[in-house]
Amino acid sequence: MTRAGERPTPTVSALPHAVPKSAMPGMVWPALPDPPASRLLALQLQLEQSQWWPPEVIEARQFEQLKQLIVHAQRTVPFYASRLGGLGSGPTFDRARWMQIPVLTRQDVQLNKESLLSRAVPPQHGAVGEASSSGSTGRPITVYATDYVTLLWQAFTLREHFWHRRDLAGKLCAIRHQPDGGAMPPGGDRLTGWGPSTDIAYRSGPCSMLNIKASIREQADWLVREDPDYLLTYPTSVFELLRFFREHGLSLPRLRELRTFSEATPADLRNVAREVWGVRVVDMYSAREVGYIALQCPDHEHYHAQSENLMVEILNESGARCGPGEIGRVVVTTLHNFAMPLIRYDIGDYAEVGAPCPCGRGLPVLKRILGRVRNMLTLPNGERHWPSLHADVIHKVAPILQQQVVQVGLNALEIRLVVARPLTAAEETAVAAHTCASLRHRFSIAFRYFKDIPRGPTGKFEEFMSELDT
Amino acid sequence: MSDPVNPHALPYAVPHSALPGAVWPAVPSDAASRLLALQLQFEQSQWWPPEVIEARQFEQLQQVLAHAQRTVPFYGPRLAAAGFDPRMPLNRALWSRIPIMTRRDVQLGKEALTSRAIPPAHGTVREVTTSGSTGRAITILATEVYGIVWQAITLREHFWHRRDLSAKLAVIRSGAAVGAGYPEGLVVPSWGPPTDLAYRTGPGAILNTSCDIADQAEWLARQNPDYLLTTATRALELARLCHRTGLALNRLRQVRTYGEALAEDLREQCRETWGVPVVDMYSSQEIGYMALQCPLHEHYHVQSENALMEIVDEQGHPCREGETGRVVISTLHNFATPLIRYEIGDYAEAGGACPCGRGLPVLKRIVGRVRNMLRMPDGNSRWPNFMLAGAHKDLPIAQIQIVQTALDALELRAVPEKPFSAEEEARLIEYIRHWAGPQFKVSLRIVDTIPRGPGGKFEEFMSLIEGHA
Repeated sequence: MTRAGERPTPTVSALPHAVPKSAMPGMVWPALPDPPASRLLALQLQLEQSQWWPPEVIEARQFEQLKQLIVHAQRTVPFYASRLGGLGSGPTFDRARWMQIPVLTRQDVQLNKESLLSRAVPPQHGAVGEASSSGSTGRPITVYATDYVTLLWQAFTLREHFWHRRDLAGKLCAIRHQPDGGAMPPGGDRLTGWGPSTDIAYRSGPCSMLNIKASIREQADWLVREDPDYLLTYPTSVFELLRFFREHGLSLPRLRELRTFSEATPADLRNVAREVWGVRVVDMYSAREVGYIALQCPDHEHYHAQSENLMVEILNESGARCGPGEIGRVVVTTLHNFAMPLIRYDIGDYAEVGAPCPCGRGLPVLKRILGRVRNMLTLPNGERHWPSLHADVIHKVAPILQQQVVQVGLNALEIRLVVARPLTAAEETAVAAHTCASLRHRFSIAFRYFKDIPRGPTGKFEEFMSELDT
Repeated sequence: MSDPVNPHALPYAVPHSALPGAVWPAVPSDAASRLLALQLQFEQSQWWPPEVIEARQFEQLQQVLAHAQRTVPFYGPRLAAAGFDPRMPLNRALWSRIPIMTRRDVQLGKEALTSRAIPPAHGTVREVTTSGSTGRAITILATEVYGIVWQAITLREHFWHRRDLSAKLAVIRSGAAVGAGYPEGLVVPSWGPPTDLAYRTGPGAILNTSCDIADQAEWLARQNPDYLLTTATRALELARLCHRTGLALNRLRQVRTYGEALAEDLREQCRETWGVPVVDMYSSQEIGYMALQCPLHEHYHVQSENALMEIVDEQGHPCREGETGRVVISTLHNFATPLIRYEIGDYAEAGGACPCGRGLPVLKRIVGRVRNMLRMPDGNSRWPNFMLAGAHKDLPIAQIQIVQTALDALELRAVPEKPFSAEEEARLIEYIRHWAGPQFKVSLRIVDTIPRGPGGKFEEFMSLIEGHA
């Protein structure tokens, strides 16, 4: 607490007070960083400015960059040779012409992997590597990207730290999928910095990692031991963790912020995080194959599209752009991947468009990110919507450790549960009633019990899944 | 409705990209990235609270002092006497025990002030000689790092004043490049370094000052620039001339001035004549940028990332808001000739916190050199604040200068546009007598020209009294 009229002393290791690492002997402030750090900071300066530009200026710059990408794609990527028509050649290139380009589906990417690769990646863009495969829908896709794309990924990671004014001296703990199977409990893995995006330019504090395969109890034990300032993990698993902490009276006294990624955030996660750990949730929306799509606003709970990284379009069923309050498909175009350009790529998620943000940033607003088509509920009358399960209430009526709701028929749900002890008939009835109330229909409900409900291959967990053929 | 955005104006302009296919965001060259990385830091540090800025300065000065104590003979004993220990953090109390050095110290101690071990990483070293407007030129050595910080602050000044980089810049200065003579001047494709290192800029036009003011105005009208960069007194002469002759500069958006104290009426004259604001900066060859005009106000912000500035009274105590004192300055990055608590010879008025929110200290006014101070017969001194604007309006004067020749004597040197009548002469003397008070004898001397100092500086008032310069 500070008295009235007294300014709190800023933490000098916190952005934007932190000073980059200097490569020049004797020069500590301002720093003269080495070339890779300078490049990253030069990008940061641009991002710092462009976020405040009016939307039409941002879009004009995007089209300037897209024109470069389109010309390149047309010339060197077989898949696009005929698909783009004469788009890049004319003197004008605007939204009307852009909207004529057909949307690229995940299936297109899977089936045309070879022909989506550029035959002439500019050598200055650096080495081409496999960016990723994201298989939460069970349909992995592989994307190739250059060092230049990696550089931008790092720049946006750093922007996210700037936006949320992180204290770089703090300790970061991450519980996530580990592709190499490492960082297993009880010890996890310890690193000396937060990772290249910060460490290229700044000194950062320690970082500890734990594999998401650890049980909730193992995660909790590990976290209490590590006592982090920041925790980065999946929103669904952290929801379980929060309940575990509440039930066992555990705390994380140093924690300042809960950072989430990779999944749609459960409706009441923010409230529970505030209640149990006293922290706010900062979510980000990214995908391995395209990088950062949207970051949470520094001042609000909604998101800003990362327009310097990609063009984000939210399209309705007829392919037109959604307005504020409307929900549509997320279609993205990477601005900088010259190895495998993804042009108007339907990533498979749905999002709600927001109104311009009062923070003043010109970056488009996404009010909510709703997840995938297969996370949509279909009512018997054919109406479809994004279910809100209010899982926290369900946990209050029965000793549930983990739950997942699967729509198995137009009128039928399966509730999958991991429980501390077998439920009584009354508890089952209460859970069923609550679920029907949340979903606004009297479904017929079957219960199925598990020792553990498995996550997807990259650690993603879906609270609600539809098995209907959509 | 918001105004339409000019995509060439900062902060909308996008740097040059060195990577093919990457136009936005740009991936600049190494040299440009370095400049922009500094810019990002400046962008942040300007908003830091004053105590954070000062803490960072002392961290950097700790490095400078440790280096100076080890490798610069002049400072060894001085810093030891002040109790400096490179293993201990530097603080304000210790800092204020370091003796203030004068221009004379720098002149006499040139060798002793040069580091015996300039870090090779700081790049090539060049000699810098100051303009010597006081007749006492000084020479220091400066490193490439010093130059990089200079460039970065030049760019900051463009950012602060949201310049349109596609516009045309005209520069009138003394000692400008060969070929910049009247009538053609030198027309160049860009604004020059450092701006064009990182950004594409519009054309530049340069004229040296070997021609008279009427020719300069004529050249300017022909160039029809968006921005004019010149010394403060020259800007004033040009504005007066254009006002009298009706010569128009219809594209002009800003007059940028440097090198001299601003005459009281310069801003008003430029607004009246051209309808544009004046943006002034305070710099010197041996220090680099000391203060830049606030983007929102007419006062200045100290460039704390380049130098630590102190405004001290006659006893060496820090001046409070509203007080005028000596400017004492320390460079943070010149490891060739570090200047530590160097009294540059100027006076400035300390300001309060700026409503713009920047934590960089405020200078309300820069009032110039000691020798521009009027000594009163009763022993007091004051900054002459002449009402010469009125004289210029009423009388056919091309140029005017007041010289204090004795404790009770002022000489008025004037270049008439056409010969004065006896009545005009009497009126002119009356102006000065009225302003100075009855204790001064005032004489008039008609001259053909009033020479500027070697740096092209012009002083409206100069004192020749012994011990005052």
